[in-house]
Amino acid sequence: MTGERTFQKFKRLIPKKAFLLWLDSLKKDYKLIGPVKTGNHAVFKEVDSSEELFMEYGTTMLSPGKLFLYKPNEELFRFAMNGKITIDEIAPIAEKQVIVGVHPCDVNAILYLDRIFLRTFKDTHYEARRKNTVIISLNCARVSENCFCSSVGAGPFLHAASGYDMLLTDFENEYLVEIKSREAEELFGLEGRVAGRDEMRVKAEKEKSMQGKFTKTINVSGLDNIFAENMEHPVWQQTAEEKCLSCANCVMVCPTCFCYDLRDEMSMDLKTVTRYRCFDACQDIRFAEVHGGNFRQRRAARLRQFVTHKLDQTNQYGVSATVGCGRCITWCPTGIDLTEITKEIQRYEPA
Amino acid sequence: MNKLRLGFFKYSCCMGCSYFFAYVHKHVPEVLASFDFVFIKLLSRKGIPEGPFDIALVEGTITEAWQVDELKMIREQSKKLFAVGSCAVIGGIPAIKATTPELEIEKRVYKNLSSIHSIKPHAVDAYVKVDGYIRGCPPAERDLYEALTSVLTGRKPDFPQYSVCIECKLKGNLCVLIADNMPCMGPVTNAGCGALCPSMNRACYSCFGPMKQANAPALAKKFKAMGISRDDIIRKFTEFGADTIEFRKAVETVYED
Ligand code: SF4
Ligand code: SF4
Ligand code: SF4
Ligand code: SF4
Ligand code: SF4
Repeated sequence: MTGERTFQKFKRLIPKKAFLLWLDSLKKDYKLIGPVKTGNHAVFKEVDSSEELFMEYGTTMLSPGKLFLYKPNEELFRFAMNGKITIDEIAPIAEKQVIVGVHPCDVNAILYLDRIFLRTFKDTHYEARRKNTVIISLNCARVSENCFCSSVGAGPFLHAASGYDMLLTDFENEYLVEIKSREAEELFGLEGRVAGRDEMRVKAEKEKSMQGKFTKTINVSGLDNIFAENMEHPVWQQTAEEKCLSCANCVMVCPTCFCYDLRDEMSMDLKTVTRYRCFDACQDIRFAEVHGGNFRQRRAARLRQFVTHKLDQTNQYGVSATVGCGRCITWCPTGIDLTEITKEIQRYEPA
Repeated sequence: MNKLRLGFFKYSCCMGCSYFFAYVHKHVPEVLASFDFVFIKLLSRKGIPEGPFDIALVEGTITEAWQVDELKMIREQSKKLFAVGSCAVIGGIPAIKATTPELEIEKRVYKNLSSIHSIKPHAVDAYVKVDGYIRGCPPAERDLYEALTSVLTGRKPDFPQYSVCIECKLKGNLCVLIADNMPCMGPVTNAGCGALCPSMNRACYSCFGPMKQANAPALAKKFKAMGISRDDIIRKFTEFGADTIEFRKAVETVYED
């Protein structure tokens, strides 16, 4: 992770082969994680060698941030009850790791998770892993069907100033490598060619040509109030009834959904209880169950909660919660599309 | 601590839940240490199904009149009563006949009907109130321990009520419904199995039954759009859940179309 101290933000062009060999050299101190091809899809996982990496991937079903930083399922502590209660803390699992090939939307999603887990309340498990993780981002070279990051400023090229370590741009046989943190500066030993104004112009052209390739868009202006004003818009009930399964796949694949549930499991001999946490989902009926009732019993209310929290929340953290990765659309069994729902509402509400 | 009195009752089913409970799961010794098996047909012909019981576990679908009478009596004599396994929880496989008139089904199966006294199949909670559902075919180990430890410690048990998809995603499985176009029942099925079938690259066939408020008609429509035949869609929703309101709605949708 980035330190606040100054460092040299150099930019170099490095042959891809040399770059991958450098990645392999990190393996003695770090776990190497990156996109790997499986059938027609790609998944982020640990690799033994950079040869396994599939850097040309489109998107993945699960984001690296919600696999390797904020874990789907994690034991927090155990307690025993032998007369008195004794607590046995479980240290966070936080091996040093390098995650390579993280697309701009997913880096922005990690920066969003940072706001939740590293600000007012620090989550020690998340923090320990975040500190031990080197993030190497890769600007996108193709647009997948459901991507709309360009509409929300989260891609296809990364513009965040800090919070990650390196940024790669595909230059055919080379990567344009930009150093974004002190740790990266110290780790990165390759010389390559220094990238100057010409190379940066080529990069800007690449970004521009990518911007033109998006088919899915959303108009974010005025989104902050429109949902609150349309709580009973027919699109909620209609979509919920006809299509929404309340399966919560959308929440599970969303790289910025951060809600979790705490669960206890008691051993059959009654001696220990393990408390663990795992992802929770507002699309699930039990999410809003509190003492005395459930304030989101209607499916439509749950669907609305998901869409609204993704799109109407600049007032919560100062940025929109969606990074436009399109995963919730791709992996929804019935293809519910939050951009379409929004358009439906905007049609009646000139922005 | 005195051992608690436990009764295990079997109605129309394969007795797999008894078998699982008595022999197969991870903590048989711990269970034996805490409970006195007062009545369990699989292990002993002795004993009478008479209480009082601290905990009654009931497996099987209710398909005969005598079962109704006995079940009611057990309920009255038990502090806690849990339905165990898909047959007891939702009707399960014996409830396949739920959508056909009784006599038709009987004639299809038996030559001589003089000794057949069967009634419409229903889950246990159609006849008596239950304190919790230990779902699955076979039942989920975790849910069994949750029920037993809740009785031992006097707390309210907590069973999963969300979709198999959530478990599937927590495991990191690639979704077979979307990636491989398989008619997976996971989105409308109650969790508990740990997404066993999708983890083996197979579609879920809903052996755990519908989750609360499942939108089965919407999934049936999706299956139709995937090109699954009407009969196959009906089979999917009646294999385990033919007697459930949620899956009946899906069958109606398919008939209406
Ligand atoms: S929007 Fe789609 S993925 Fe989300 S709960 Fe509804 S059906 Fe499932
Ligand atoms: S709401 Fe959908 S498009 Fe936006 S970040 Fe989440 S999964 Fe991606
Ligand atoms: S959309 Fe739902 S699950 Fe996701 S962060 Fe918001 S409330 Fe939590
Ligand atoms: S494979 Fe089945 S259970 Fe798993 S997420 Fe897809 S639809 Fe749900
Ligand atoms: S995935 Fe479905 S069919 Fe398979 S064990 Fe789980 S509930 Fe049963």
